[in-house]
Amino acid sequence: MNDSSQAHSNIRDPAGTLAVALRRITKRFPGIVANDDISLEIKEGEIFALLGENGAGKSVLMSILFGLYEPEEGEVWIKGKRMSHFSPREAARQGVGMVHQHFKLVENYTIAQNIVLGMEPVKRFLGGVPLVDMKATNEKIRDLSHRFKLDVDPLQLISEINVATRQKVEILKMLYREADILIFDEPTAILTPQEVDYLLQIIRELREGGKTVILISHKLEEIKAVADRCGILHRGRLVAVKEVAQTSTKEMASLMVGREVILEVDKPPARMGETVLKVRDLRVLNRDKVAVVKGVSFEIRAGEIFAIAGVAGNGQTEIADALTGLMATASGRVFLLDEEITRTGVRERNLKGISYIPEDRQSYGLILDYDLSYNLALKNYFKEPFSSPGGRLRQEEFSRYAERLIEIYDIRSNRGGGSVVRSLSGGNQQKAIIAREIDQDSPLMIFVQPTRGLDVGAIENTWSQILKEREEGKGILLVSLELEEVMALADTIGVIYNGELLTVKAAKDFSKREIGEYMMGVRKDA
Amino acid sequence: MPSFKKSRPGRFLLHRLGNEKWQWISIPLLSVVLAVLTGSGVILLMGKSPVDTYIGILQGAGMLPKANYAGGTNMLTDFMSFLDAMAPMLLAALGVTVAFKAGLFNIGISGQMLFGGFLATILVGYSDLGGLVAKPLVLLIAGASGALVGGFIGLMKYRYNINEVVSSIMVNYILAYFISFFIKTHYINPVSRQSEYINAAASLTFKGVALGGVKVNVPLGILLALMAALVVHYLINKTRLGYEIKAVGANRKGAGYAGIPIGRTMVTAMMISGGLGGLAGATYYLGYFASIQPGVLSDLGFNAIATSLLGNNSPLGVILSSILITILDKGATFMSSKVGVVKEISGVITSLILLFSAMGAYFRYLIAKKQEDVKSENREEMGE
Amino acid sequence: MIEIILYDGLAFALPLLIIAIGGIFSERSGIINLALEGLLGFGAFTGAFMVVMADHFLPGSQPYGIYIGMAFAMVGGGLFAMIHGLLTVYYRANQVISGVVINILSMSLTAFLTRQLNAIIFNAASNRFQLGVADRFTLPLLSEIPVLGAVFTKVYPFQVVILLVALLAYLVFEKTPFGIHLKASGDNPHAVEAAGVDVKRVRFAAVMISGALAGLGGISFAYSISANFNPMIYMGYGYLAIAALIFGNWQIGNTLLAVLFFGFARSAGYELAKALEMSSTFNDIIMTLPYMLTLLILIFFSKQNAAPRALGEIYDKGKR
Repeated sequence: MNDSSQAHSNIRDPAGTLAVALRRITKRFPGIVANDDISLEIKEGEIFALLGENGAGKSVLMSILFGLYEPEEGEVWIKGKRMSHFSPREAARQGVGMVHQHFKLVENYTIAQNIVLGMEPVKRFLGGVPLVDMKATNEKIRDLSHRFKLDVDPLQLISEINVATRQKVEILKMLYREADILIFDEPTAILTPQEVDYLLQIIRELREGGKTVILISHKLEEIKAVADRCGILHRGRLVAVKEVAQTSTKEMASLMVGREVILEVDKPPARMGETVLKVRDLRVLNRDKVAVVKGVSFEIRAGEIFAIAGVAGNGQTEIADALTGLMATASGRVFLLDEEITRTGVRERNLKGISYIPEDRQSYGLILDYDLSYNLALKNYFKEPFSSPGGRLRQEEFSRYAERLIEIYDIRSNRGGGSVVRSLSGGNQQKAIIAREIDQDSPLMIFVQPTRGLDVGAIENTWSQILKEREEGKGILLVSLELEEVMALADTIGVIYNGELLTVKAAKDFSKREIGEYMMGVRKDA
Repeated sequence: MPSFKKSRPGRFLLHRLGNEKWQWISIPLLSVVLAVLTGSGVILLMGKSPVDTYIGILQGAGMLPKANYAGGTNMLTDFMSFLDAMAPMLLAALGVTVAFKAGLFNIGISGQMLFGGFLATILVGYSDLGGLVAKPLVLLIAGASGALVGGFIGLMKYRYNINEVVSSIMVNYILAYFISFFIKTHYINPVSRQSEYINAAASLTFKGVALGGVKVNVPLGILLALMAALVVHYLINKTRLGYEIKAVGANRKGAGYAGIPIGRTMVTAMMISGGLGGLAGATYYLGYFASIQPGVLSDLGFNAIATSLLGNNSPLGVILSSILITILDKGATFMSSKVGVVKEISGVITSLILLFSAMGAYFRYLIAKKQEDVKSENREEMGE
Repeated sequence: MIEIILYDGLAFALPLLIIAIGGIFSERSGIINLALEGLLGFGAFTGAFMVVMADHFLPGSQPYGIYIGMAFAMVGGGLFAMIHGLLTVYYRANQVISGVVINILSMSLTAFLTRQLNAIIFNAASNRFQLGVADRFTLPLLSEIPVLGAVFTKVYPFQVVILLVALLAYLVFEKTPFGIHLKASGDNPHAVEAAGVDVKRVRFAAVMISGALAGLGGISFAYSISANFNPMIYMGYGYLAIAALIFGNWQIGNTLLAVLFFGFARSAGYELAKALEMSSTFNDIIMTLPYMLTLLILIFFSKQNAAPRALGEIYDKGKR
């Protein structure tokens, strides 16, 4: 028998102060075991960190605790009571609250309406009809936010507030429900370094106030900074539970990836050539005709990685879309190798030499219902040899081309070029896009969030491919929300805030902290 | 319910339906079986015999021999008449299919049929042109006018983001009323209350040909429709345009990313779809019939949706499904007179087939899920 | 003449309004509802069937026929809408396809049932159910106000009922917890689920309500247009209601303006034709008016509308 449950129940629990006890939890999804026989105990009033790579099963485990999933096997005990059925409502009743990685907020509702959703204060109309008492709601939320020093304006619409405030709303949602076991799922992924500090402070204060906090993260510094204990997941199994104070980040890291790996890249000095891309005063409007890119100018030379750093939603994706022609340019000019392409269509730009690895791989980069061979030829299908001049497709050419790319780029698929892309893993889908785009041999390559959702091995692989293209003399535009990635790869960094490039400097002249200040717009170049 | 999954018939069903290679046929068959069973339930409730009803339908469609025939006719007469009716059904369903491939729902086929049929009728049907000129001209005019209507709906969708279902219904009614106005004011036959009959030269069906001692109608339309199915199959699966249409249908954003002109592709697909609708109108109003009833949109345009869905939106699959749906439609009148179940029952069964076909995605999902369960159970049993 | 345009316009606009409100309930919860046409038809069928049944088996019920009709039309519409609810909410069907399927099913099923039930119960070969005439009434004092008095002239009883039901629907939609959850489900269903509310149940209820409201509109059309139930009930009015709610930006208040516009434009068209002494053959041309208007309105307003964010998405709890 497995004795891991035995080992963990050895944790001393003199006063019976366990907040959560998970016993032999197993959860399967088609094709994978997300949680494999996990037993874990979390004490009341501690900050417990759950550490692991993408796909290690952290979010799934916590979603079980939060009642979103029901495990196939095992028991969940909350404050000494066994959960009998799994639903968010039941979990909330037991005092479990969760801030999800992707916020769960209703955009066209106010902050107050979001916080009370599902538990609205009600007054009776005509003696019976229950109506939501908005006045009482707003009062309550105002009080609540003062009490926990999380100041928000209850009447503001969610669509009008920034990421950090949205997070506050999510925290208030838990507090309104009087949750005392608070789960944070990757809360810092989208915050600037300064906002991270603030959040960690809030988390500490919540513990002081008697709450139990579970922090899901793969960022070791944060865990070191705030957590009391941490549990480490690897491929669905709990591999260790450690006292944070007595553990080194290095040890945690190696447990997490299952081998000694610290992401380091071997980056030779840049050999820059002629200007590949020149952007002058670019302005882009969104669907509501509001400017989201406001007069951005920059240049990228051959052999240079130009990174745009910034908090999500500040206009960086729109820049990429405007450069590739997917969004219209309102004003300004764009030159590719000294040829103006401001008004050129998507296909012509592709042909003139722009490769694009988009952020949203599944809805932009691929046609999921097409097989791999069709997807690999997505930008060439209309040309010889894939298509005859009369418009007849030559299947054998698609297959031959797919075989070649599958071989070179090590794309894993069950039936080679004939596999429907939907059935490929996320990592292999990304490989397919990168293979296709690199094989275009374009002078300009645009990468947007190229490693989002990939595991460490795949990240390394992608980074080295980007650097290889730099060596080949390509001009590379990298848009990334991960500061680490920007710092690791970029030769030049521009920081974007609210649609404007606040600063552009050589990467070596920046500190991480400094970029953070620009990202929040608290620092500006003259 | 592990007992069902582990039971022998349960496993057998799962195995059959779970085999993805055969799902293109097994899932539609399941839809048909469910619809026929539900239809039987309705017939039983009305106090009639389902078996007699279905036999009557098959007899009426020329698939089974009747007990007796009127003078000068036999089963061949009925069968040829069935083919005559199947031609517009197949063409209309192909129209729906092409639009589906581009992610669009052409529910305006009946309007496109009417428009194509009407223009061909007044421009060619009443002229003195000889058959060799008139027949191709009928197809040309009907196809082009149908394409025009389809293209307009596609344009509205792309340019103004107007739901194509809503706009095609509006266009359907506008066309129906306008055409009704023109027929009533210019082309009405006061006795039949329909438009005047077209000249035989323009008709796509040779009426009353003596064959093997009986009189039959010989439809050219069925040849046209079968050819159209092959052409559409080739177009969708083997050509550049087909690649683009399917890409736009499967993932519009992705198609834009690839540089495919989305608007042009959508309009082209809708023009092809509408064109097929127009051709269906030609074989319907200038083949199967020879005149137009003012103010009435043919049910066929709606049944074509069932046909297309049942045929898995595949041009060759649609050939099979249009046989089935046409049998239901065609055999109903005879069945009604013989068995006494009102002929509207065939519409009910057709729409039940449509209902269960729409659930096809759910069946697939269920089957995939059940299989996954069985697999993991097996793993455990084997101690993996 | 203005008076006629006003009261005839209202008689057309109010049924359209209640159908459109039904559509708003469904679509704001996140479920595209192209099935309104079929729902109003099936509702009208059920109501009409119960009216003729009552007439046949309960002599003396005649004066209450229209109320029996309205009540059962709502029941029938609501029950029939369960198919759309099951298909889209629980069976993951494509919402557009499901809507069209419901319409076709409704048309064929009511055609079959009307004929077959007439044959079995009444021994008649007919494709219609004859309804009694709904007596229009005129309010004594209010109707004497110049011009606006027309609003209180020749009022159908169903208009009053529709107004009351519409008010109640508005209250539920805007002020109750259910309404709040419903609208949130159409914006971000994951937020609603995380807040402990069963999204699928909310959406299913919304679709059923839309069927009940469409049914009420349907029986009203049956009374006002032809005083019987027959296949002509399917004249695209369900789609007109969809256009109205798009025009009204999925808001009940704005949709009211939209249907009034439709109603008055239509009655004005008829009056104009009468004034110009056009022959009845031109009726066909006037009949196209609402459809043409719809197309034009959609062309001019579709660019600025803001559809519910989660409209048309299949909601899956497991999806993150």
